[in-house]
Amino acid sequence: MRLELRKISIEGVEFGERFEVRGKTLIINKEELIEELKENPNVKEVSIDIALPGEKVRIIPVKDVIEPRFKLGSDSGFAGVTGEVTQLGEGIVNVLEGCAVVTIGDIVGFQEGVIDMWGEGARWTPFSKTCNIVVDISVVEGLNPHEHEETCRLVGLRASEIIARASKDVTTDKIEVFDMGTNNEESKKYPDLPRVVYVEMLISQGLLHASYIYGVDSAHILPTIISPNEELDGAVISGNCVAACDKITTYQHQNNEVIKELYKLHGKEINFLGVVLVPEMTTLNGKYISCDYTAKLCKMLDAQGVIVSEEGYGNPDTDLVMICSRLEKQGIKTVLITDECSGWDGMSQPLTDTAKEAVAVISTGNVSHVISLEKAEKVLGDPEAISNIAGGWTGAYNEEDGSMKCELNAVIGATSEIGTHNATVKLH
Amino acid sequence: MVVTNNFLVKSNFEDTEFVEGDFLDVLNYVREKVYSGYILVSHPLGASIRMLFSPVRSVIIEKYDIDLKKSEALFDESRRLIDESIERYVQIIGKRNPDTRNTRDYEKIDYILLKSAIEEIDFINNIKRGETFEVRA
Repeated sequence: MRLELRKISIEGVEFGERFEVRGKTLIINKEELIEELKENPNVKEVSIDIALPGEKVRIIPVKDVIEPRFKLGSDSGFAGVTGEVTQLGEGIVNVLEGCAVVTIGDIVGFQEGVIDMWGEGARWTPFSKTCNIVVDISVVEGLNPHEHEETCRLVGLRASEIIARASKDVTTDKIEVFDMGTNNEESKKYPDLPRVVYVEMLISQGLLHASYIYGVDSAHILPTIISPNEELDGAVISGNCVAACDKITTYQHQNNEVIKELYKLHGKEINFLGVVLVPEMTTLNGKYISCDYTAKLCKMLDAQGVIVSEEGYGNPDTDLVMICSRLEKQGIKTVLITDECSGWDGMSQPLTDTAKEAVAVISTGNVSHVISLEKAEKVLGDPEAISNIAGGWTGAYNEEDGSMKCELNAVIGATSEIGTHNATVKLH
Repeated sequence: MVVTNNFLVKSNFEDTEFVEGDFLDVLNYVREKVYSGYILVSHPLGASIRMLFSPVRSVIIEKYDIDLKKSEALFDESRRLIDESIERYVQIIGKRNPDTRNTRDYEKIDYILLKSAIEEIDFINNIKRGETFEVRA
């Protein structure tokens, strides 16, 4: 499969008459965008705002973040979701790099996820550096929560596609190519390089805790093999609305840093065999089946080393260590990537489960780490939501200067377990 | 059987054991059951920190009294998991109170996630726990 991403650098966004790119500025027609998004009968109202890096703007609660992309000569979109079912992972795609669609609007009151575009908060989210087009969606009366979530999800994805039309005729020198043959072909080329598989765990437990692969809800599937190209081309979408710090937003799937890094090393240090997507099941039986199956797939692919990343915190820690122990028992070296919840002082046990085989673990940060968010000049979304965020405790809010202490787990992407983040951990 | 402190679950499911109390009370009750002949069917904790702040929690357990030789591993695993879950829950919740401002929403989501767990059980209903069944030790 050959996927060519043509990166068009965007450093500013403005409203204007048409969808176009002028230099490094993206122009979007607000009214046209809203009108097209309102074609979805479940949508009552849509409002669009722009939030640029450095502005004292807070976006909260964030549902999803999506990178606007336009595939030349094809309207596959997010195949199976916004477009017809078709094969992803190939072709030429224009990417509005440096720009993101951010959807807001709560489906439930306890939803969280903050992006601060300035100050202390900005340090902890990757999306303080993107020019954000913020889409606030309200839905018609009478929808059940599933329909509400689906509407918000679809509108966000659609918005990214409409906006990406601006890039249709734009050319750029910045091109990234992802080109890989079959496992057989690649192994013949690099017979002496260690064979590595990337196991990506996906939250798959129901409403607000969902992931979609070509539109298929991952809640009731067996682990499955997918080409890294497919994930980089929009095959995996987020329906995760609860775990701000470590939810894999659609943007992060499109730009999966583990995949990109393994691709860079492919043919040089490793033979990257591919990706196994693993649903994080709710029941113990489900976990046993899922973890057994994952280890089996890695063995069938003849992996010598496996990197496993998690999504979320709590019961998925059990899956993470189970996969590790099953792989290690089969003689496959395993490295885990996960965040940790080790208390304000960073000293508590990091995961909710353990295994003696889990000896190579990369921490993407402590979700309990406390930061101080300054008072925003402008809030896109719900200004009250800031008091809802995980970590709210007596004394967290300073009435004098309007600042709020919160834990990292409330900040979007703060401890991303697939590497799109700024945080890590230092051993003392 | 569902152990729960969620009224929405109690009024919509037949086989429930209602616990008057909070999240931790539910976990403690599950622990009592797990140490007296029950095993965990669903994991005691949710999948995100956010869900740990929920005032309500539903956990599926089942009575397991087939011959001791096969089932000892499952009992051990359930006991280990509930003990660890309680320890972690207490540590993580710290000085905080569960998020009672959003109780209605948590009740809804807990109920929906429970239904999802039950669907999952239906999908994998035919698992046979045989001699080759190995629980991670």
